Amino acid sequence: MKTNLKIGRRTLLALVAATAAFPFLTPADASAASLADAKAKGKVVIGIQGDNAPWGFVNSTGVQDGLDADIGKAFAEHLGLQVEFTPLAVANRIPALVTGKVDVLFATMGMTAERAKTIQYSKPYAGNVLSVYGPKDKKIAGFDDLTGMSVGVPKSSAMDTAITAGAGSKANILRFDDDAANIQALIAGQVEAVGGNQFYGDRLNAAAADKYETKFDLVTLYNGAGTRPGEKDWNEAINSFIDKIKADGTLAKIYAKWMKRDVPSFPDALPDIPFTVK
Amino acid sequence: MSYSLDFSVVVARLPELLLACLATIGLSLAGMSLATVIGVLGVIARRSRFRLLRGLVIGFVELIRNTPFLVQIFFIFFALPQLGLRLNPTVTAIIALGLNGGAYAIEIIRGGVDAIPKGQVEAGLALGLHRAQIFRHIILKPALRTVYPSLTSQFVMLTLTTSVCTSIAAYELTSVAQKIEADTFRSFEVYFSITILYLIISSLMMGIFALISRFSFNYPVK
Amino acid sequence: MASIGPNELFFLMQGLKWTLALTLVGFIGGGLFGLIVALTRTAQNDLVRRTTTGYIAVFQGTPLLMQLFVVYYGVALMGFNVDAWVAVAIAFTLHASAFLGEIWRGGIQAVPKGQTEAAKALGLHYVSMMKDVILPQAFKISLPATIGFLVQLIKGTSLAAIVGFVELSRAGQIVSNQTFRPLTVFALVGVIYFLICWPLSLWGARVERRLSTASR
Repeated sequence: MKTNLKIGRRTLLALVAATAAFPFLTPADASAASLADAKAKGKVVIGIQGDNAPWGFVNSTGVQDGLDADIGKAFAEHLGLQVEFTPLAVANRIPALVTGKVDVLFATMGMTAERAKTIQYSKPYAGNVLSVYGPKDKKIAGFDDLTGMSVGVPKSSAMDTAITAGAGSKANILRFDDDAANIQALIAGQVEAVGGNQFYGDRLNAAAADKYETKFDLVTLYNGAGTRPGEKDWNEAINSFIDKIKADGTLAKIYAKWMKRDVPSFPDALPDIPFTVK
Repeated sequence: MSYSLDFSVVVARLPELLLACLATIGLSLAGMSLATVIGVLGVIARRSRFRLLRGLVIGFVELIRNTPFLVQIFFIFFALPQLGLRLNPTVTAIIALGLNGGAYAIEIIRGGVDAIPKGQVEAGLALGLHRAQIFRHIILKPALRTVYPSLTSQFVMLTLTTSVCTSIAAYELTSVAQKIEADTFRSFEVYFSITILYLIISSLMMGIFALISRFSFNYPVK
Repeated sequence: MASIGPNELFFLMQGLKWTLALTLVGFIGGGLFGLIVALTRTAQNDLVRRTTTGYIAVFQGTPLLMQLFVVYYGVALMGFNVDAWVAVAIAFTLHASAFLGEIWRGGIQAVPKGQTEAAKALGLHYVSMMKDVILPQAFKISLPATIGFLVQLIKGTSLAAIVGFVELSRAGQIVSNQTFRPLTVFALVGVIYFLICWPLSLWGARVERRLSTASR
């Protein structure tokens, strides 16, 4: 009568042992796939934003869409592979990459020196002007004017970093899960200003015409694809792909479709952000 | 590539985290107090002669218990301003926790009240006590003792629920953890440590509740 | 100002699909593991019993949101390359197994001792005693609590939103941001949850009443 119990015990003990060993494990390889692995499997797993239109979002038919999706599809095509998108929240992007959940990130990754310590950037393929947005009747010309104000930012975004650096000790910074919550907080009047990207203007205008405006620019961010540091294969494949779409007009076409503007001019180098594996 | 765990980032930010633990405990205590008040008032209203009042309480309890806390707190924070009611994240969190905990408290306390034998109330009436006295001494006090274990375990759940308040940017343990995660990209290490902090907080709370029960309910039951 | 049309409703329904899928996986997976938890929790061996008690205590003593985060980032570190949604499903399974295990443990222990003794006297071995005598009664006793937990689980899947999952709550957040009608959208999302959870709650309450009158 004990047979069943024993199996239960063993399973459980194994489970317990695994759980106990959990925090002390130092996995050598979190099953990160190399370019050759991806080619063998026939697909590339791309980390992308799921709700950041027009960059990367899941459209109303449940399909991944946006600038990043089109570029991701073109990249897979360039490699001759199937594409698989993994939608990620802003704060999940880097962890998903370094833990091997995705092969590369086309996830509106603004290129910052801080992030470049953790991931390998490609050459930039898009640009994004980050600014502080607020109601027209409020005077906000610089960080000093944010003193005592509540300012919303999406958690762990480049706006978060820029505003925390500029007004971290002066303003009451509220960090929301994503752009959607951040924009809503401003419209609902829960914050007096927000840090946002170049699309916040359109979004806010659609919500309340002529009520909000750009107050001052924080930084122009260039978006690059992200790969794990040291992985030369992925990095080189992406850079040659980006060179190709810049030259043959594919990028311009995708840019016109989603951004409704021309491709910006890209810098050849950014301080402390290498585009290639050293 | 290899990923090795590094808990030093957590250790370095421990003072910040401990301060955030206090915020979480404060938020929980405020939520519990509000929930208790709503619970007792709700039970009184639930026993009222007015049908409308009884119906409102039942509706409130069912509504809260059958919708997620996240939706409730989003509603208060993002939707109520449309009606002109704007509350800051901390106040929103306390009210959401209080309303949510209160709905469960009403059900729990009502169960205890219903378990009081009718004869006790009749005995009270026979002794010439008036309604308020009967409710307080004969119904509420013994009922609270009966429901104390369920009520306090509901309160521990309320404490754990405070972590959801991070979505409206309230200041508490999870939001501070997310800030540290953003600075360090050490997601697993940060969340693993925070989980242990929550476990300590909830264990402490259970211990304190057990102590309170020992000191306040130590008179004989029969 | 945009309005809430068929597109928005469709988007919410897509989210609802994920809510239901996560609930289903969590409940079935949690049920299977929960059975093991309940059996080991009532086992004779001290060490086994204590380990399971610890397992339950950890899941009941920490926020579901943290369990999601830790499992979500943890499975990848342990070397499993799984989809985000598999990671979240694992987290809900573990969470549900602890709670269901504890609920069913209560059910097993509520079955009168005489039943176990009678089964043993009849020479039934452990498997048959559990399968044919104890568990059917235990499940009946714990049905209301099991239904109650199912409702908690449905509501709990909303937290997958914070990990970045577009389930019903997050779909609501997105639609609310597109249409700028938070009041309507969140009320609508609340109503959808309510319509799913309320009948279950009513069913649970009815089963509970029936059980308590039956035992009188």
